Amino acid sequence: MAKWSRWLGVICLVSILLTLTACASGKSADGKVHIEFFQNKPEAKGSFDELIAKFNAQHPDIVVTQTNPPDAETVLMTRVVKEDVPDVIGMGATDTYSVLGQSGIFADLTGEAVLEGINPRYTQMLTDLTGEQAINGIPYAANADGIMYNRTIFKEQNLEIPKTWDELMDTAQKLQDAGITPFYLTYKDDWTTNLLFNALAPNIAGIDFFLERRDNTVTFEDPVMQEIAEKALAVLPYGTNDNFGRTYADGNRAFANGEAAMYIQGTWAIPEIRKANADIDLGFFATPTGDDAAANNLVSGVDTLLAVSESTEHRAESLQFIDFLLENENISQYIEQQTAFSAVEGVDQEDPALTELQPYFESGRLVDFADHYIPAAVQLNSLVQEFLQRGDVDAFLKRLDSEWTKVANRRS
Amino acid sequence: MAKRKAAFYWMTVPALLLFFVFHTFPALQGVFYSFTNWNGFAKTYDFVGFKNYYYLFQDDNVGNAYWFTFRFAVVVTLIINVLSLLIAMGLNASIKARNFFRGIYFLPNILSVLIVGYIFNYLFSNVFTVWGENLGLGWLSTNLLGSQALAWTGVVFVAVWQGIALNTILYLSGLQTIPTQLYEASGLDGANKWQEFWKITFPLIAPFFTINMVLAMKNALMVFDLIVALTNGGPGRATQSISHLIYTGGFEGGEFAYQSANSVIYFIVIAVISIVQIRYLQRRETDM
Repeated sequence: MAKWSRWLGVICLVSILLTLTACASGKSADGKVHIEFFQNKPEAKGSFDELIAKFNAQHPDIVVTQTNPPDAETVLMTRVVKEDVPDVIGMGATDTYSVLGQSGIFADLTGEAVLEGINPRYTQMLTDLTGEQAINGIPYAANADGIMYNRTIFKEQNLEIPKTWDELMDTAQKLQDAGITPFYLTYKDDWTTNLLFNALAPNIAGIDFFLERRDNTVTFEDPVMQEIAEKALAVLPYGTNDNFGRTYADGNRAFANGEAAMYIQGTWAIPEIRKANADIDLGFFATPTGDDAAANNLVSGVDTLLAVSESTEHRAESLQFIDFLLENENISQYIEQQTAFSAVEGVDQEDPALTELQPYFESGRLVDFADHYIPAAVQLNSLVQEFLQRGDVDAFLKRLDSEWTKVANRRS
Repeated sequence: MAKRKAAFYWMTVPALLLFFVFHTFPALQGVFYSFTNWNGFAKTYDFVGFKNYYYLFQDDNVGNAYWFTFRFAVVVTLIINVLSLLIAMGLNASIKARNFFRGIYFLPNILSVLIVGYIFNYLFSNVFTVWGENLGLGWLSTNLLGSQALAWTGVVFVAVWQGIALNTILYLSGLQTIPTQLYEASGLDGANKWQEFWKITFPLIAPFFTINMVLAMKNALMVFDLIVALTNGGPGRATQSISHLIYTGGFEGGEFAYQSANSVIYFIVIAVISIVQIRYLQRRETDM
C-alpha cells in the first residue's frame, strides 16, 4: 500500500515537471540568440522575409524568425494571456495596441537611439492613443484610407477626381449610367464596411468627438453622426449586385481586372491588386467627405509600429533588429513594396499611384482613423456591417451608444 | 487481492491526474477569473463579485448568441439524425458497390472543419451564385452567407453535410446488430415496411438514437470553427455562436473575465441539457 502511494507521488512530480520545463527554454542548442518577430500584415510577409534574410546574413549570431498568423491581433492576445509574448511585435496602431501598452506588455523605449529620425507626428499619434507618457512602439510605416480608382476607366469616361461629396456621387452616377460598376464593395468581410466610416467620421465629426464620447459629454445620436451614417448608406446603390457577398480577396481580384471604377480601400491593398494584375493603372484619392475640398483631410494611421516585449531576454538584439529595419535602404525597400509611407523622415514614397496623396503629407493635412478611438469590445465592424444591411440610421446610432455604454460599464 | 486493486489504480490515476491538470484545473481558474475584472494580461486585477454576471444578463449580444446557437443546434440535430438514419438504412441494404458508398459517405468526417468551411465559403460566393442565376432562384443568386436573414441556413447546410458522416456510421453499426430472423418473422406475420421500421428497426437501435442525438446536439452547441471559416459571426452578429462570442469578446475585445463568466453560465447550460437529454432518451429506450 505504502509502496504504490510513493510511486503515485513520483508520477505527480514528473507530470508537473514536464509541464513546467516546456515553458522554460533558455538559450537554444546552437548557441545563437533566437528572436521571434510577430507581425499582423499578411500582405507584408514576403517583404519582411526578404529583410529578415538580409539581417540574419549580416548577423551570424542572431536568428530572427517571422510569425504571421491569420487574425493576428487575436492570436497575439492569446499569446499574451499565455505569457508567451514574442520578442518583437509589428502591428497597427489599434485599440488592441493601446490596451496592451497600458497593461505594460511592451517595453518603454523612451530615449533609445532607434527613435532618432522618426517623424514626431507619428510618435505623438501613438502616445495620444495609449494616453501614456511611455513610448511603447516605434512608428514604422503609415497608410492611407481613401478611394482607389482605375485611371484607364476615368480617362475613357472623361472623369475628373471628385473633390466634394456631391461630385463623388455625381461621378458614381455617370459611371453607372455608362454601364460600369462605380464601387466594388466587399462587405462580407466586416472590417471593410468600416473603411468608409473611418474616412467620413474624422472629417465630419472629428476625432475630438470620440474623445468627448469617452467623457460622456456627447452621444452618438447627434446630427454629425447622422450625416456620417447616411453617407455610408448612400454608396450602396452604386455597388455590385451582391455587396454583402463579396470578400476583400474577391474585391482585389475584381478591381485589378477592371470590373469596377472605384474601390474603397487602404493603400495596403495596392500590392495585392498588383499581384492580380501588374499592369493596372491605378490612382488613389482622399475620400471627399463634404462640400469644402480645402477642409478635407486624408485619413492616415500608423500601419505598422514596432514594439519590444517587456519580458524579452534579448532586448539589445531586438533593438538591433528594429534599428536594421529603420535603416534608410531597408525602409525604402519596404515602403516601395508595400506602397506605404515611411515614418522615418526624408524617405519618400514615389509610387505613381500615390501622387495625388503627396500634397496631404507635405502640408500635414492628416487625421487618424476613427475606430482607433473606439474600444475594440464595441465591435464596431460588425455594428456597421449590420447597419448597412438593415439601413436603419436611428437604430444604428442608438445601438452604437448602448454598446459603448455597456463596454464602459464593464471596464469601470 | 491488494495487488489487483493496485493495478486498477495504475490504470485510472495517471489519466485522472492529467485530466485534472489540463482540464479541471483550468476550468476552475476560469470560474475564479469570472469574479474579477482581469482583461487577460494586466499585471493586476480586482475582485468584482457578481458584477460580470449582472452585466451578462443585460447584454443582448449574449441573448442573440444563445438564440442563434439553440436554433442552429435543434435544426442541425434533427436534420442530421433523419438523413443519416435514411442513408444508413440504404447502406445496410444489399446494394451494388456497398463498401464504396460507405467509404464515400464517411469521407466528410475525416476532413478538417476549417478546410470544409473555407471550401464551402468559396462555393457559396462563386459557384452556388452562378447556379442560382441560371436556375432563376433569386435567393441563391447572391451569396447566401452575406444575407442577414439567410446566412444561418448556409451554416446549417455545411454543418449537416459534414455531421451526417459520423452519425451514419453509428446508425449503420446499430442496424447490423439487428438479427435478420426478426425481419423474416415479421414478414411471415404480414407486416409492411412502415410497421417493420417502427416496430422492429427503430426500437432495436434506440441506444444508437440516444447517443446520436446527444453527440449531434453537443457538437452543434459547441460550433466554433465552422463559423470562423464561413461567416466569422456575420453579417453583423447574425451567425454568432456562443463559443464565437466568448472567443472574440474575450480576446479581441480584451474582456477576458467577462467572457469567463459567460462560459461558466454556458458550461452549466450544456451540462443540464446533456443530463436531461440522456435521462429522457434512456428512459424511452427501456419503454420500447
